[in-house]
Amino acid sequence: MNEKVLLVDDEEEFVETLAERMRTRGMKVSTTNSGADALQLVDDESFDVVVLDLKMPGIDGIEALKRIKRRRPDIQVVLLTGHATIEKGVEAIKEGALEFLEKPIDLSSLTEAIHKAKATKMVLVEKETEERIKEILHHKSW
Amino acid sequence: MTTTDPVCWRSVSEEGLRFFGEMSASVSHEIRNKLAVINEKAGLVQDIALAMKSGRSIDPDRLALQAGKIIEQIRKANQIVGALSRLAHSVDRSGIRIDLADLIGLVVELYGRKAAQAEITIDAAVPADSVSLITSPFLLQGLIGACINLSMPRVDDSRIMTIAAESCSDGAVIRFQHLAGISESDTDLGGNGAGARAILAMLGGRVSADGRHGELVLELTNQEEREGGSQP
Repeated sequence: MNEKVLLVDDEEEFVETLAERMRTRGMKVSTTNSGADALQLVDDESFDVVVLDLKMPGIDGIEALKRIKRRRPDIQVVLLTGHATIEKGVEAIKEGALEFLEKPIDLSSLTEAIHKAKATKMVLVEKETEERIKEILHHKSW
Repeated sequence: MTTTDPVCWRSVSEEGLRFFGEMSASVSHEIRNKLAVINEKAGLVQDIALAMKSGRSIDPDRLALQAGKIIEQIRKANQIVGALSRLAHSVDRSGIRIDLADLIGLVVELYGRKAAQAEITIDAAVPADSVSLITSPFLLQGLIGACINLSMPRVDDSRIMTIAAESCSDGAVIRFQHLAGISESDTDLGGNGAGARAILAMLGGRVSADGRHGELVLELTNQEEREGGSQP
């Protein structure tokens, strides 16, 4: 499906290796090592999915998730963590994360989550388009 | 408060456990991150092997590069485990002469990840074999940890906290430097500082704030030396 993915993790070796493996599986992957840069990239480019590490210096995963959802509600977010707790998982899902995966990750689980995320985004975009058309039809009184 | 006070002992135990838990959580998190990198590197090697099987020509240096990176991650993980092991074994001994450069270096290493998360650097500025102290190393590590936790949000614009140490007539002085707005009210070692204060009392120490120089100052006296070290 050629998903456009942004990978965000402060561990450079992790993010670059994972990106290389995802690219060989047909995904278009951009990477960054900070939450602040991720927000800038989300403003500048269009992504289907953002894969975010929970613990990062500066803007952490949960904060980045909140800000991404505020700016671009249609973008789907998958959170990664090296130390999953039920509380953090619940918080992430409440803030709109689609999945919460524990490191070391299983690439097939992540790929599955990304496919699901793109499908969810497409449904949201279709709904939004439908709403817009309805609104235009209503205002034009056709 | 005296060191034989059961309330004091309880606070010391609780603070020791809290400190050990904090360090274990941080180290396990760091090891997991290293394992995550190794996992991806191994996966990449599998991908390369599959590509070679299907007839693609791959530069062997690519495999050698990934193998080298896996070895580097294992070396880093081993170093982290080594630091945790040294901390764990420090519980065994008390009343021994320790090299403060060594002990402060270990605590700084253990706090590396927490400092990075707070976007600061902790710098141990104690030359090896220059300052020694007779004390309980585990409790002192916990006390230094409490001082780091207190000082971290107060690090000035340099974003570097320096920990220095010097000998004095009956012990040693440890200074946490480059702190902005540090005051006497900080010497209670934070809102939940009862445990750290109990350790301070047990080690015969005193903490003060030097606002003019931006320092939290920890003064410690030599404890009674025990041959070979023993349980406190």
